[in-house]
Amino acid sequence: MKTYGTEPGKPEPVQVGISELVVSEGDDTLKSYGLGSCLAVALYDPDSGIGGLAHVMLPDGDAAENSDVKPGKYADTAIRALLRRMVENGASYTDVEAKIAGGSDMFEFESFGDGVGQRNVDAATAELEKLGVPVIDQDVGGKHGRTVEFTPGSGKLIVRTANGEHGVTEL
Amino acid sequence: MKLDVNALGTFYRMAREGAGLAAGRLTKMTGVETQVGVTKLNFMRGREINHDFEDGAEKVGVRVALSGGLDGHSVVVFDRKSALRIVEMLIAESGVEEFDEMSRSAATEVGQVMNSGFIDGWADVLETVIDVSTPTFIEGTTAEPFFGDIEGAPGDDDLALLFQSHIEAVGTEIGFSHYLFPERDSMAALLEQIRSSDGIEYDKLDGFDRMAEQGAEEVARTATTLTGIETHVEIRQLNFVSLEAIPAAVADERLVGVAFEFEGTPSGYLLFLFDEASAHQIVDAMVPMDVDEEGDGFGEMGESAIKELGNIMASGFLDGWANVLDTTIDHSPPEFIHDIGAAVVDPIIIQLGETQEFAFVFDTQVVADGREFDCEIYAIPDERDLERALNDLDVDRIEETPTTANFEDVE
Repeated sequence: MKTYGTEPGKPEPVQVGISELVVSEGDDTLKSYGLGSCLAVALYDPDSGIGGLAHVMLPDGDAAENSDVKPGKYADTAIRALLRRMVENGASYTDVEAKIAGGSDMFEFESFGDGVGQRNVDAATAELEKLGVPVIDQDVGGKHGRTVEFTPGSGKLIVRTANGEHGVTEL
Repeated sequence: MKLDVNALGTFYRMAREGAGLAAGRLTKMTGVETQVGVTKLNFMRGREINHDFEDGAEKVGVRVALSGGLDGHSVVVFDRKSALRIVEMLIAESGVEEFDEMSRSAATEVGQVMNSGFIDGWADVLETVIDVSTPTFIEGTTAEPFFGDIEGAPGDDDLALLFQSHIEAVGTEIGFSHYLFPERDSMAALLEQIRSSDGIEYDKLDGFDRMAEQGAEEVARTATTLTGIETHVEIRQLNFVSLEAIPAAVADERLVGVAFEFEGTPSGYLLFLFDEASAHQIVDAMVPMDVDEEGDGFGEMGESAIKELGNIMASGFLDGWANVLDTTIDHSPPEFIHDIGAAVVDPIIIQLGETQEFAFVFDTQVVADGREFDCEIYAIPDERDLERALNDLDVDRIEETPTTANFEDVE
């Protein structure tokens, strides 16, 4: 369940849960907790400081019935919805850059085929390419979970892992 | 009564809608920002409901009877302290420690506003009118005064359909739970209306759950045998939830565990998750020598001990199902996990998410008396297979069939 701290003066990060997307600007931080095979897609316009974070669960929204109700659930529809909302808020489409993190494949179950995480990474990469949004940096794959914090104003995406090996990465 | 997944999905949405309305009204009334926590559609036995409710804290509740579009009872339950704080906000007085006539009526008013929020959510979606009785104010520490005298409340062994939501005020200790007990006949009529498939016989689901109960007992016995730690099943419930809600329910910390996929009728996924302290305790109990706790913290020996335990617990859990269903359920080799809880669960919901939106989750907690041994077990069957398994289930077989797994020698 989402909880908020009570430390005075310091704004708490906005939680972006599975299938959700949030658009914001400036020093606000957007946080997605415990990504395994889910993928965090962070888009931002460096000039206006407007950006957004999506916590994507599945690759293909165009093939799903409810993607209009839950665009944030699917990589393709989430990216388009983020872009649209950012532009509505004043971002300039052609300046938008992307960073992605997540898409691990921690289990080698037969039913998972080539890997549920990799499918999300591939779908997001393909959609971004189609829309002409460059992927500036990424931290994807592997067999470990990640927690990400994104600040649209700086475009900084901080990726934390639970184990010491990978630690904290700044994208 | 026959259930189907679409109808249950509609109910789940209603419950969430209702929770949103109730939270909004609490904000309007008190000026405090609120948020909705997990909403659950539970299938629980009377004894589990009582057990879950009784955490030792004094509670205050406001209960109404429902009729019209939906018959049943709606109860808003606060921790006594939360209720007193809300009353202070409303009557602008501090240091309220007892419920006198005024504070009682203020608390009742809040409870009533919440109840109608939940009910309006249901009525909106059902496009019907639900009549709400005058509210009753209840105080107590056990479930008895809150639910005991409800007509049609589940007996210890009866499987009840129950909607639970949790709402909390941001930045305060104030939180409350909402329970909605629909009456069986009324629920059956609604299900009949909304149902879009042949559906599942409620009695079969009840039977399947009784099987899961035996599986859970078997897991606790296995754990005791292998570790020497006296364990028992603490909480057990069958939840019907949206897939996205499953990772959110897992502890916000690094967990240790084992994951399996199982295949047969039904197929699905099975997870055993321990907190780190419990996992260390288990390794100490199972491995006689000092474990090299370098690297991931458990070393090869520790990891293999936990996988071994998980493997035998998995067989104990699934053999019970297979025996009663008279089929075989095979499970994969154990995959060891040591990671953030939510990250461990999301690959599974992603895989299931390709074909389903909701899932039945058999949620079990096994604990030890006075020692660290907290094990959360999640069994998440593939929806289509579960429906088939339930339809094949011969309810009479459940009482007759032994569910005990065969132990193989553990080295």
